[in-house]
Amino acid sequence: MEIRDLTKRFPGVLALDAVNLCLERGSVHAICGENGAGKSTLMNLLMGIDSRDRGEILIDGRPVQFVNPKQALAAGISIIEQELNPVPEMTVAENMFLGRESTRFGLWVDARAAQEKARQILASLGIELNPRLKMKELSLAQIQLVEIGKALSYDSEILIMDEPTSAIAEKDADRLLDLVKSLRDQGKGILYVSHRMNEIFRVADTITVFRDGRCVSTQLASETNRPEVVSLMIGRKLEDEYTKNNRIQPEVALSVRGLSRGDDFHDISLEVHAGEIYGIFGLMGSGRSEFFDALFGVEPADEGEICLFGDRCEHRRPKDAMANGMALVTEDRKKSGLVLSSSVRDNVALPNLRQLSCGPLILEGREKDAVQRITDRFRLKTPSLRQIVSRLSGGNQQKVVLAKWLLRSPRILLLDEPTRGIDIGAKGEIYSFMSEYANEGHAILLISSELPEIIAMSDRILVFSNGRAVGECSQAEARQEELLRLASLSVHEGEVLHA
Amino acid sequence: MKKILTMGLASLATALILPFAPGGPRAEADEPYKIGAAVYGLKAEYMRLWTTALERHPDVVSGMVDVTVFDGRYDASVQQSQFETMATQGFDGIIFVPIDIEAGAAAVATASMRDIPVVGSNTRVNSNQLASYVGSNDVKSGRMEAESVLECMDGEGNVVIIEGPIGQSAQIERRKGNLEALEQYPAVEILEMKTANWSRAEALALMENWLSAYPDQIDGVIGQNDEMALGAIQAIEQAGLDVEDFCIAGIDGVTDAMLAVKEDKMVSILQDATAQAQGALDVLMARIVGPDYQPKATVWEEIPFDGGSEAVYNVPWVPITEQNVDALLEEREKLTTR
Amino acid sequence: MPENHSARRSEQSFAGGRHTLARLLSEYGILLAFLVLVVVLSFASEYFLRADNIINILRQTSINALLAIGMTFVILTGGIDLSVGSVLAFGGIVAASLASEAFGGGVVHPLVALAAGLGGGVLLGAINGLFIAKWRMPAFVVTLGMLSMGRGFTFIYSDGMPVPRIDERFLVIGQGTFLGIPFPVLILAFVFLVSWVILYKTRYGRYVYAVGGNEKSAQVSGVNTRWIIFSVYAISGFCAALAGIILTARTTAGLPQAGQAYELDAIAAVVIGGTSLSGGRGTLTGTLIGALLIGVIGNGLDLLGVSSYYQQVIKGAIIIVAVLLDSFRKRD
Repeated sequence: MEIRDLTKRFPGVLALDAVNLCLERGSVHAICGENGAGKSTLMNLLMGIDSRDRGEILIDGRPVQFVNPKQALAAGISIIEQELNPVPEMTVAENMFLGRESTRFGLWVDARAAQEKARQILASLGIELNPRLKMKELSLAQIQLVEIGKALSYDSEILIMDEPTSAIAEKDADRLLDLVKSLRDQGKGILYVSHRMNEIFRVADTITVFRDGRCVSTQLASETNRPEVVSLMIGRKLEDEYTKNNRIQPEVALSVRGLSRGDDFHDISLEVHAGEIYGIFGLMGSGRSEFFDALFGVEPADEGEICLFGDRCEHRRPKDAMANGMALVTEDRKKSGLVLSSSVRDNVALPNLRQLSCGPLILEGREKDAVQRITDRFRLKTPSLRQIVSRLSGGNQQKVVLAKWLLRSPRILLLDEPTRGIDIGAKGEIYSFMSEYANEGHAILLISSELPEIIAMSDRILVFSNGRAVGECSQAEARQEELLRLASLSVHEGEVLHA
Repeated sequence: MKKILTMGLASLATALILPFAPGGPRAEADEPYKIGAAVYGLKAEYMRLWTTALERHPDVVSGMVDVTVFDGRYDASVQQSQFETMATQGFDGIIFVPIDIEAGAAAVATASMRDIPVVGSNTRVNSNQLASYVGSNDVKSGRMEAESVLECMDGEGNVVIIEGPIGQSAQIERRKGNLEALEQYPAVEILEMKTANWSRAEALALMENWLSAYPDQIDGVIGQNDEMALGAIQAIEQAGLDVEDFCIAGIDGVTDAMLAVKEDKMVSILQDATAQAQGALDVLMARIVGPDYQPKATVWEEIPFDGGSEAVYNVPWVPITEQNVDALLEEREKLTTR
Repeated sequence: MPENHSARRSEQSFAGGRHTLARLLSEYGILLAFLVLVVVLSFASEYFLRADNIINILRQTSINALLAIGMTFVILTGGIDLSVGSVLAFGGIVAASLASEAFGGGVVHPLVALAAGLGGGVLLGAINGLFIAKWRMPAFVVTLGMLSMGRGFTFIYSDGMPVPRIDERFLVIGQGTFLGIPFPVLILAFVFLVSWVILYKTRYGRYVYAVGGNEKSAQVSGVNTRWIIFSVYAISGFCAALAGIILTARTTAGLPQAGQAYELDAIAAVVIGGTSLSGGRGTLTGTLIGALLIGVIGNGLDLLGVSSYYQQVIKGAIIIVAVLLDSFRKRD
């Protein structure tokens, strides 16, 4: 496949500017760039979702023009999207063959055949998953794998993968990367879009860097290195990805004793000091996010106690936790972090309205000043505070979530996957913010599935497995392999992926 | 108020339970006759009065007849299934007030298959299996009300007509009567003719708009029922005009309309609910019991009973005048207090 | 080369211009449609723009606009209230019965009757809210149930008869004027103003939008989401009862069958006004314009002597176009 001089203009921005790209059979071509660099636009043009203003796309030397994804699929291009779109009430097999169900005599759907086919495809991915399970019963990682299976089921010659590992844990990512390699060896052409440098360098043959809608470099992976690619992406030299220079103080900020809730987690105890960044590592479904929910009163714990700066606290509702100086940046910003249909101002002000109003009335002047101040601190890129947040990039959305909680100056900050799906530039800013904030004497609890991140940022790390705390280590002791081993301990039988 | 509420609940309970009560062919002669009254709907004042009058019939009061009222909820298919219920429960006879002239024939056929006599009341039904019909001629009332408006206008000027829901038999026939009367007065022009669906609120808005569109041009308002005529009166009063300058008529004789007649705001023609309901029961009983049956309704003082054998009994319309309004209101009072 | 360049630019500016037009249409399309309609009607009928006709339109619109304002609160949270027509009748009949000499006990002060009618509406709305907020039942089902029950209560209470002979002082609510402006219009203006302040100037209003936009997110941000959901149905009940009282005072009788199918016009006004049925997006001003648009169509077609059947077709078409515009806005 070859792309020549592809150009697309959206009002106000040149989303793609004369891009040239060449994808050969049997190779993996990585595309990296920050959010807004034009990667998504390129995908949309390739799949026929948007129409191009100029340029051409050639497959096997023949120019093609798709007006919808169906045509692209027919021509042998399939895509695995970053945003998963499963139909929760349908089964795995139904989802995989949605829109092209095989029928008997052209009448009723042949469910059995579809299930058999789905089983085969998943098995070829090394996944054992009952195709009759409903999508809503699967974990995020399993859903991602089903989506990959779905894309493979088209027998496409060209596969586009858009951040395929953003939602899944390291170990599953490994399996996915192996799969990418084996697909390449089968002679398929793969366009691999990702932020994660280590992944890119593991699978890619060629690396193309996008910035501001332009293709700034295309190099063989063997001829470049990680710092060079990163600096090409952000357009300047990145000193160090992780910033960390917080000092731990003797005072205990948060102490949790014997916290349990139903089947989600049991008997969790920990102590976090002021000025400390305390990491919590665990696989999907290990109970780590549920633990945060209980600390914050979203779904209160059944037993155990929480003490903040020595005082025992009862958190029945988020309001209680907020009053005690706690803030929670949730795992999924779209599901529980933001009101996507509202403006930046409304989102940032939402948990702070009591402080910003007089009686029932909001003091708009004060509100505007406060929101402006905190968004400036995070260097939020938005045309105005009235901008609807769904139109911001992932990194900027995450900054809005941080801003809305930081406006309260919480003493204890709970961060659940704060850097998921955002670009490297924004990540660096969030890391340096964490370090700075801890240094002001606040405590931070950090959940992350990214091992390098959690090891680099945490003073101590607690490992969750199957709802229990299975081990704690200091930053100096932490090793990726050891953390993974702890996290995979005593995984119960039903968990297919890690069996 | 409490009393009314409990009474209401009691009648609701009756309506709910009775259709499911076990029934069967009447074994003994001294058991009460089971009569069903299938009416199109109990939401309008007129059908409430009709039902009350039926329940006040001397035979019902004496216990000789047991009446069950079925609310058709303005739906022909609901009425059809109610007929099926009555047929299986072995009712002795049915009084039928259909939602529409064309929509009741199948229901009547259901009953006649089981040899249950059906007498129509108030609204006619297009069926040759109907034993008899006791009602009032809507063409005639339409003519009467239009004539009273036109006479009041001295035979010249402009009128507007507020119609019932288009396609319902009462609207079709009353319009026919309206137009028959208007033909006699060539100097009168019809400015507008539009539906307000028997609704006072809709007629109010419609008349307000007409008063804007035809300032100082409307002399008469023909409402095909009282509710709509009352809506027109409200519009005129709220526009700051004098109702005395308009000639307004309605049909039915609802309580509010009687009060308006008393204040000389409009003319209304009473559709005699008592005569229709009690007369229909008399005719039905004559079919069941035979020629020995003695009719009890007062309407037979005005029209001949003939042993209940006629196919159609036309209950006369009663124009409400300042002279008879007090007596009629008193009678109404009796019918509405329980 | 220079020609080529300039050609490209003009193409771009054309594309840009088209986009702006589309955005303008989706943002202000309904206002535009409303203004066009007003201009057309003012040419078609010399009476349309006369003061008394404008007052007519406002007075006729007041009932639907009040329902639609309450409905806006509900729809902004992502709910729906199908029971407003029945609650209107219930509130109207309760107030009428207390202000009537023909019904039950003696006549109480009209303000007491007014308060009782409003209380009845709030009560029914609160029952809706309780089931929806506390027991997490779908609003569509609960309010559909209340649509039937509310009408039933009304008939039980009034025994199916209209309530005539209402105290003159009570009728002022529907028939009185102040400086030539009818009371129903003044009441509407007041309710609109208060609602506007609540929605745009108070915490409560922000919470309503947040709950509709993302309930989970609002909950995590410390918002008492159940209280917000419960209260919007009580507000809708209040607005419906107020509309019922005005209708009663305008028709001089408490009519148990009043307000049937009014919920459809109220929902239509909200949707035409650009409020998203999935919640979180929409404006109160849009709702008012939506209600006025429906009112003006009815009035205009009456003035021109057009059959009411066309009115229904036109109203339906506008609803569909409004939702179409909304979907464009979403895609943007």
